[in-house]
Amino acid sequence: MVPSVFYEPPQSFKIGNPGDFPYGPPTFMADEKIFVFRDRDRGFAVASAVCTHLGCTVAHFGSDQKFHCPCHGSVFGADGAVLHGPAPRPLNWFEVTVARDGQLNINKDKIVPSSYRLMV
Amino acid sequence: MNLIREIWQSIVRRDPLTTDKGKSELVFLNVWLHIHPAKVKKENLKFKHSFYLGFITFFLFVILVTTGIALMCYYRPYPPQAYQDMKDLQFVVFMGPFLRNMHRWAAHGMVVCVFLHMCRVFYTGSYKKPRQFNWVVGVFLLLLTLGLSFTGYLLPWDQLAYWAITVGTNIGSYAPFVGAQVREILLGGHTVGEAALLRFYVLHVAVLPSFVILLTIVHFWRVRKDGGLSRPVWKLAPPKQQPLVTIGAPVETVALNVTAASKDKTYGLMEVVTGKPIFETVTPEEEEDTVFSYPYAFVREAVVLMATVTTIMMMSLFLDAPLEELANPAKTPNPAKAPWYFLGLQELVSHSALLGGVVAPTLMVLALLAIPYLDRNPSRRPVDRKLILWLFTFFVVVNLVLIVIGTFFRGPGWAMVPPWVHVVAGAE
Repeated sequence: MVPSVFYEPPQSFKIGNPGDFPYGPPTFMADEKIFVFRDRDRGFAVASAVCTHLGCTVAHFGSDQKFHCPCHGSVFGADGAVLHGPAPRPLNWFEVTVARDGQLNINKDKIVPSSYRLMV
Repeated sequence: MNLIREIWQSIVRRDPLTTDKGKSELVFLNVWLHIHPAKVKKENLKFKHSFYLGFITFFLFVILVTTGIALMCYYRPYPPQAYQDMKDLQFVVFMGPFLRNMHRWAAHGMVVCVFLHMCRVFYTGSYKKPRQFNWVVGVFLLLLTLGLSFTGYLLPWDQLAYWAITVGTNIGSYAPFVGAQVREILLGGHTVGEAALLRFYVLHVAVLPSFVILLTIVHFWRVRKDGGLSRPVWKLAPPKQQPLVTIGAPVETVALNVTAASKDKTYGLMEVVTGKPIFETVTPEEEEDTVFSYPYAFVREAVVLMATVTTIMMMSLFLDAPLEELANPAKTPNPAKAPWYFLGLQELVSHSALLGGVVAPTLMVLALLAIPYLDRNPSRRPVDRKLILWLFTFFVVVNLVLIVIGTFFRGPGWAMVPPWVHVVAGAE
């Protein structure tokens, strides 16, 4: 009953050149369900937009620096830690590296601490 | 003309319905009707005993199968086309909205009636010996009804569908030990996509309905084998009366009086059954209190069928089945609410996915299954069952309260918002 081949998007993929991403509020990439943070001093970090409770897509509002899940009301802090609601774990942060062609590469199979930063 | 008569008589081989023999033969010579007894107890037919909820549920299922097959002619279980086919059903297909509405309202009606039927059986104590196992079959039919509802509202591939699959299969993944595998098998992968839609379609149109039909057959057969409908509570013999006479059963001290068969008997008795029958005993007076199934039971069933179909048709004329926008994995609607019958569960998982989504529902189902075996009180009279009636009422009220909270008191972000406060959509 489990397929031998999964025709699914790869877990490791490129998202573009570092210069494509603005400073300040994170860039939400809908298809990949990730937030790309770029901080002037601290570099790149990529957070998962998938709520750890039941998989709804969380929203990030620049105003309060928090992630809000619409399904069951979980709220995550700026570092992804659970502040409120039923979520059992903090949001995942993914490893971000620079590929040979200079693009940013995300690997969703590699979960990193929220303090992880890529300086470019 | 003789040929026509011959053909007719080859199909219908019973005596005319004006005779008692004909009325009996109508039932037991007919494969569809012989699930009924030839005669039924008059009191058992009363509306105030059963409210005909079992029949209404069955007829709603018949409506669902019929309209479902018609809908299958216009539906492709493939992500972009599925939603487009919904739009076609809304705007292009002749009577498409009516068809879809009938399917939707019959489905909602079935959830309601299955639940009310369960309450009726509980409050009249009809799950007691010898009907314990039929209660268990009924609980599984309730679960299948909920499963059919869940797999059904996923098929339009609108926002509701997409997020319901996402949340539903993630609840499954909290199940201990097998969680991850359950989710992978349900989705046919790791993400909600075309494989998932196809699998839920197969569950909805083939797997679950087959089980419903199988269990319904067992359920009806058991009703018959357990002695027909339970006696209405008001017909129960008062306690401390003389023991009831069991027709045909030997009195323990007296030897069974076997009469030699006459020479012109035309039937064979395969086995002489000794001992008391498992079904309810009847007094000779009660035995005389019976009527032929034709026409008394059949007319009532036909009326219930017509009333059920009419009600669903009227609702379908005036109330439209909802359809949200196309599934968008990037944007979860806010608030994202399941249909009303799952909002109690959604309220529970909003506190804890493991406790509310797996542990509590499992315990509830186990408790329901165990009721007929744990309740050792033989009496069906409400005065003798006060404690358990209160417990069950508490169970029903808790479920209703959770649904009401989820439906009316939850706003964006699942925050507690009373229904009289107006929330502007999108004002986040």
